[in-house]
Order: sequence, then C-alpha cells, then structure tokens
Amino acid sequence: MRTGLAVWALASAVFLLSRHDLDTAVRLQLPDAVDLAAARSGPAAQRATQLAVQQRLGLDLPLFYASRDSGPRGHAGQWRWHGSRNQYHRWMADLLRGNLGTSFRTGTPIAASLGHALAYTLPLTGTAALLAVVGALVLAQRLAARPWWQRPVRLALVGLHALPLFVVALGLLLIFANPEVLAWFPAYGLDQPADGELGVWSRLAVYAQHLVLPVAALALTALPELTLQLDAALAHELRTGYATTARAKGLAETAVVRHHALRNALLPIIAQIAELLPTLVAGAVVVEAVFALPGMGRLLAEAAATRDYPLLVGGVLLTGAARLLALLLADLLYLWADPRIRWQA
Amino acid sequence: MKQNFPIRILLAAAILLLSTSCGTRRSQPGSVRTRWVHDPETLDPLLLPNQSAIDADYLLHVGLLQADYNTHSFAPALAEALPSVQLIGDSLMNLGYSLRPAATWDNGQPVRPADVEFTLKLMFCPGLPNETARNQYRFIRAVHTNPKAPRQFTMVCQGQAVEHAQASGDFFILSEAALDPRGQLRRFTLAQLQHWPATTPPDSELQAVTRRYQAGVAPLAPRQLPGCGPYQLVKWEKDRYLRFRRKPQWWGDRVRPTPFVLQARPRQLDYLIIPDAATATLALRRGDLDVYPQMPARDFARLRASPTARAELSFYSTPSHNVVTAGFNTRRPALADALTRRALSQCFDAAGLLQATQQGAGQRTVGLISPSDHANYNDSLAFLPFDPNGAAALLRQAGWQRTTGKGWFRRKAPAPRQQLRLLMRYRSDEETFATVALQFQATTAGLDIPVTLQPTEAGALSTALRAGDFDLYVRVLRGNPFMFNFTPLLHTQGVTESNSTGFSTPASDRLIEAIAAANSKTERARLLRRFQALLQREAPLVPLFFLPNYIVASNKLQGLRVSSLKPGYSLMGVGPRRPSPTPAP
Repeated sequence: MRTGLAVWALASAVFLLSRHDLDTAVRLQLPDAVDLAAARSGPAAQRATQLAVQQRLGLDLPLFYASRDSGPRGHAGQWRWHGSRNQYHRWMADLLRGNLGTSFRTGTPIAASLGHALAYTLPLTGTAALLAVVGALVLAQRLAARPWWQRPVRLALVGLHALPLFVVALGLLLIFANPEVLAWFPAYGLDQPADGELGVWSRLAVYAQHLVLPVAALALTALPELTLQLDAALAHELRTGYATTARAKGLAETAVVRHHALRNALLPIIAQIAELLPTLVAGAVVVEAVFALPGMGRLLAEAAATRDYPLLVGGVLLTGAARLLALLLADLLYLWADPRIRWQA
Repeated sequence: MKQNFPIRILLAAAILLLSTSCGTRRSQPGSVRTRWVHDPETLDPLLLPNQSAIDADYLLHVGLLQADYNTHSFAPALAEALPSVQLIGDSLMNLGYSLRPAATWDNGQPVRPADVEFTLKLMFCPGLPNETARNQYRFIRAVHTNPKAPRQFTMVCQGQAVEHAQASGDFFILSEAALDPRGQLRRFTLAQLQHWPATTPPDSELQAVTRRYQAGVAPLAPRQLPGCGPYQLVKWEKDRYLRFRRKPQWWGDRVRPTPFVLQARPRQLDYLIIPDAATATLALRRGDLDVYPQMPARDFARLRASPTARAELSFYSTPSHNVVTAGFNTRRPALADALTRRALSQCFDAAGLLQATQQGAGQRTVGLISPSDHANYNDSLAFLPFDPNGAAALLRQAGWQRTTGKGWFRRKAPAPRQQLRLLMRYRSDEETFATVALQFQATTAGLDIPVTLQPTEAGALSTALRAGDFDLYVRVLRGNPFMFNFTPLLHTQGVTESNSTGFSTPASDRLIEAIAAANSKTERARLLRRFQALLQREAPLVPLFFLPNYIVASNKLQGLRVSSLKPGYSLMGVGPRRPSPTPAP
C-alpha cells in the first residue's frame, strides 16, 4: 500500500514538474529558428503553429483541477475550478487504464517504446549485474583468505573504482576493438544488418561477441564497490569470536569464510545489490552511447534532450517503481540473511 | 580439478568467442554502409523531424523538384522541368508544372497531378500532426489540373517571392490511390482544408484516410508507406540500423539521360546509427563502415595524418552553409548601441578560431551568406578585424571610460551608470563554441571587460535566449543557397519569439520584407548585399566563419559526391572502385 502510494506521489510530482517547461517542449517539436531554410513563414505563422501543436498534444487544457488566475500587475488573482477537464486528470485516468500516453515527437505509444528499449537493456545490464555480484562474491572470499595478491588486487580495485564509466568503456573499446591494437571484438552495435541472414546459433554467437565489451565495462565498474565492501565486512566478521571458535574446531579458513562469516558479511551489501535493480531498468546511457546499443539509457537521455515529457515521465515512473521494488526486495533479503530482523507491519 | 572446471568452461567460451569475432565485416557487393548519429524516429514524409529522416525519405519518395549537388540549385525530379512562373496582379503567382511521362508508382500506375493535389490536401487534413508542413506550404492556395493535358497542372500561390518557385516543389508526393482509394479528400478543396475550423472534428471518411496514413508512417511499422523513390525499406532496427534496397524496376531508370537527381546506383544502402564519434572512427578503420559524414575536425586531421588510414580511406572537405555566429542582446542598455557592439565584435579572432577549431578549413565571412554563394555574398565588405586596441578606441567613442583594474563605465542620462560586463551563453556539448567563448573571454580580460561563461544545455539555452537571459551567445545558424527569410531572426515581428538579439530598426525591417518579397534573383541579390552591409554596420550578430563539412569514405568506393548542401554528400552515384588498368610492360 505504502509502495503504491509512493509510486503515485512520484509519478504525480514528475508529471506536474514536467509541465513547467512545456513551452520549450513545444518549441523543440518545431523547426529551429537557427535553420534559415525552415524559416519560410513569419513569426505570426510560427506562433499559430505552436498553438496548433499545443492543441494537438492537449497542452492547451488547464494543468490541474484548480488554478489561480494571474491578477493585475502580476499579483495572484482568484482561484478557478476546472473539474476533470485538465491535463493531470486525463493523464492519471489513462495511467490507471495502463496507458502511459504517446510520445510528443513521434506519436508512438510510450509503453511500446519502453518495452522495446527494455528488451535490449535487461540482457545487457542483467548480465553485467550478475557477473559483478558473482565476481564480487568469489573475489571477496578469495581476498578474505589473505593470499599474497590481496594488497595489489585491493589497490587495483580502488583504482578501478575511481575511474568513470566512460573512461573504462572507451579504454576497452580502444584496446580490444581497435585494428591498431587488438581487434578482438566488434566496435559497436549488437549485430550488423547482414547478420540477419545467419542461422540461430551463429546469430547468438554474434550477439554474444557484441555484448562482451559493454558487459565488461558495466561489470568492471560495478565490481570494485561490491567487492571492497564485502571484503571489509568479511574481514570484520573473521575477527569476531564465532569465527575464532570455528577455527578452534579445526575448520579450514575457506570453510570459516563460506559457512560462517559470509552470511553475516552479506548484510551491508544487500542494499547495494538491491540498488542494482533500478540501474538494470534505467539502463546505462554511457555504455549504450559508446557501443551504439539501443536501450533505456539512450531512450531517456534523448527524451530529456528533446523534452519528450510523456516518454520521460514513463521512464521515471518505471525506474521509480523499480527503485521502490528494490527497497522491498532489500527488506526481504535482510529478513532472509538475518532472522533476528522482524517484519514490522 | 573440480574447482578449475568453471574456469575451463569460461576459457573455452572466451576462445570460441575470440575465434569467431576476430576480423572485420566487409561490405556486401553493391552495398554502402553509412554512419548516422541519430535514428530517424519516423519516416513520415510530411513530418521530417531530423536530417536522418529527410535523408531516408529521399530514398523512398520523390518530390517535384530536388536539390542538385552538381549545380547547387533545384532541379526537376518528378516534374519534367522547372515551373513556369506567371505573376497575377500584385499578390498571386501561378506556377505551371508538367510531370515526367516516365514517372510511375511501383504498380506501374502513372504519377498524376491528382497525387500532387492529394499530398497538399493531406498536409492540411485535420487529425494529422503536420503543423510545420502546413506552415511551410500554406502559400499554395490551389492546384488546377488540365483535363486535356493529364500530366500538367498549375499551382496558385499567395505572394510573388522568387523562392515560391523552388519551395512549391520541395515536398514528397504521395499516392492518392494507395492512401485514399475512394477519393474522400476530393470532396474538399485545398482552401477548405486549409481553413478547417479547429472545433469541427473530421468525419469518419477523413478519419479513415488519416488512420491509413498514420498506419503507413508509424515508426517501425512493418509496411511503410509506398513511395515512388528508387529504394524500399527492407529493415529498420530502431537506434541500430536501417537497410534500403534498390527497386529492380524503377521509373527513374527509363529517363535518358539520367539527371543527377534521379541517379540511384547502389544496390543496397545500410545506415548504421553510431552516436559516439570515437566508435564511428574505429568502425571506419575496421572496415565496418564505408562512409563517415560530418566527421569532427580533429578526428579528420588525425586520420589524414596516419599513413595506414590514408592507404584505406579517401578524405573530402567542402564548405557548408552553417555559420558560427555570436549574437548580442541588444535589449541590454550596455549593448543597445552599434558602436559598443562593433567594438566587442573586434575581440573575436575569427582567423585564429578557424585554425584552432577547424584545422584551417572552413571560410571566413562578412555576413550570414556563404562566400561560396557568389551571386549573393557581398564581397565588397572587409572581414571584421581582430583588433583589441581598435575595440578599446571604439568603446571610448561609445562613451565608455576605462578605470584600470575596475572595468569600463559610462553614464547615459537618465539611465543609471552602466558597467560593461557580459554573460556569454553557448551550448555545452559543442567544443567549437567553448573555444570561441574562451578566446573572447581571454581577449576581453586584457581590456578589463569581465565575461562570465555559461555553457548551457541545448533546450535550456533555447529558453534562456528567448527569455533574454544573456548578453552574448554563440551558436550555429544553418543556411542554404535557396531561401533567405530573415524575418524570424532579425525582424520586429520576431522580437518576442525567435529574434533572440531583439535587434530591429525600421530600415532593417523594410529590407528584410523586401528580400522575402523579391520577385527576381537579381533584385534579391542586390537587397541581400545591402542587408549584409547593414548587419555589419549595426552588428547585432557577428558571423565568424562558415564551418567545413568533413567526410571520410572507404577508398574501395568511387562516385561519392560531396557538396555544401545538406547533408553534405550524395551516395547515389557510388559504386565499387574499378581496379585501375595495369600499365603495359
């Protein structure tokens, strides 16, 4: 119930805030004044065009159920009631029917655009998140055993953590997809137009090759934070009394880590893992742009640049819902990891 | 052994992937792969939201007239010849067209004047998002056909501007038979649809026509709208690529000799959407791409300096009609007088900026008309000098007094004392603008004029310019050699809209109106020259330089035509390079 209310509040806030910049949104749908070729008519005709666009998009309606007239000399005037004939009511009614609206720019249904983008984003971000989590679990357990390479690997992880995603992505691209260095992987996209003629397995192999570098970029940037956090938590747990008892019983260090310390050490990183869920949905705009991949990140970034608010609001709604779901999931995982935590109804 | 098992599987998978992924994909014979920055979003030929959409629609559809890259003028495409012009009274113009006898739709039916009239009516059909097209083609008031000459028709146009002759043919013609087989739009005249009341909903028959049209132009629709262009869309993966295949039987092949605008040599065209410039450069180097248009100047220079790249690629550079321009907010009291604006104009080092940002390519200019447009460019004017000392002298003439270390001040009764300090805005994602702004800031700093730089996101910049929240801006004005309507940019009518500088005088307004209404090219050229002189004198805008257009292509291709017209290149004559004959021993 609370989650549902939070989603509604988020959606309403984003919708109402987006309506404060509608003038720019409408103008960006029209030819730019800097394009002298498009300027075949005068400003009066352009104003009429702008009004027509507003009317078509339903932006000529009042924004909310009530509004305050602007009085003389800029002072606030009287309140006016508009009833259900307002933008917010129509949007919310559509939303309750499962209709997120249509794009300002192309008229495409928002749900279809988001679905299309998610179909590309989820395999990419999902694989990267899975690899990062598994990698962090494996690496942190190994580091907890204090091997000789513990210090250099920790230093490398800290260094990697300091690198922005675009540097990692471009670095991988310039090393592993560059004919002047190593042209091991494709430079962009998911396949080539000609690959449509290949068989299923060959196409899968081509798809996997194209995903290697983008997935590696995402996984490498997510890995250090998870690993270092888990490593620190494991180090803390291994200094506690129950770990000493386990060792005293004659258990090997790896068994102490795996069977005793790990579950307790997982508590701090559960929230971090849950945080990955909204990222899975929102996509990774940098990686999508560098590797020319379609997906949610590019879709939402372009929607923001072109002020395509229905698309942007739909994306924010989806990401917000994923974040709230992630919080719920984190609560459940805490419950599983530590039975002492009780659900408070 | 057990622990190493997953590692071995991973290793095997990596080797398998590497073994299949090494190497590059070569182009299929007859196919050309070109980079686009953006997806076209829609292929609606009446909407055309971006350059990719325009380029794609030129493959699918044909207009009456199209730009000819050889002559830099409009040339007949579906039309047999340029329209005959007949002036009627002092406000109307008749444009006589005749369609090519060879022009047919894919089903073999001829393209008829009724299709032209239908397309214009469709633009104004209520329920379609064609506001921009309506605005641009509202000057066409009627289309009269001639039953005795089934290929001929006359367009009746409002106004007598010389540009109407070109603009009247600059839209794609759609098939009436495919979209309105029952001729529902014939019930209305063009004028009736142009004046359709906003409160009157379209009847069910009109709705059926709009539904059929929208189904054909919906993004990623499986069957796109049929066109009479040389190509058909085979595949469209949004944000990834579009593939077009040449129609085996296209009417343009029957036109002999084939004019440039009807050439279509490549068998297949692939447009690959690669937003990032570094990735696109790598794809070109790997052979995954054949043509890379609008390459950034720095990448172009770097590639051309590389011997390996020179062996594989061909390099082209043409001047464009896009001019980097600085603009003053003339509403600000400090910038309201021409002397101050001229003084500040002399703080731009256009030659140095051209060298720094465009590796010396591009063209300096005296105004908004490209120096390549010899007929209209005012070559009697001198370039604005880069002269900080001259700027200081002009500022003193304008009444400013310098207080060392504190800046420039003046008092113009009854206004309060003014200080010359500037807020400069430009798009944050454009390196060239940042360089211009930094150079200006460095020069004015030497003159004690404080300049605050404000890189701004594109949409926010548009809002800030409209609201007048700036003193000085830098941006690109996109021009062309055909249309010269400066009303939105510099006329009084545009002051609250797109005239960001807020500049207008009765003299400049009259001149802009005369240019827009000129009914001969000679008269228009004379007026344009006067307009450039006026702009240089008043200096609301400082045109700095015209940008070059860099294109790099695989040297396995030949026949690529580059041009100053958008998009800067034509693939229609491209084919595989024939091996040069081996010299006889």
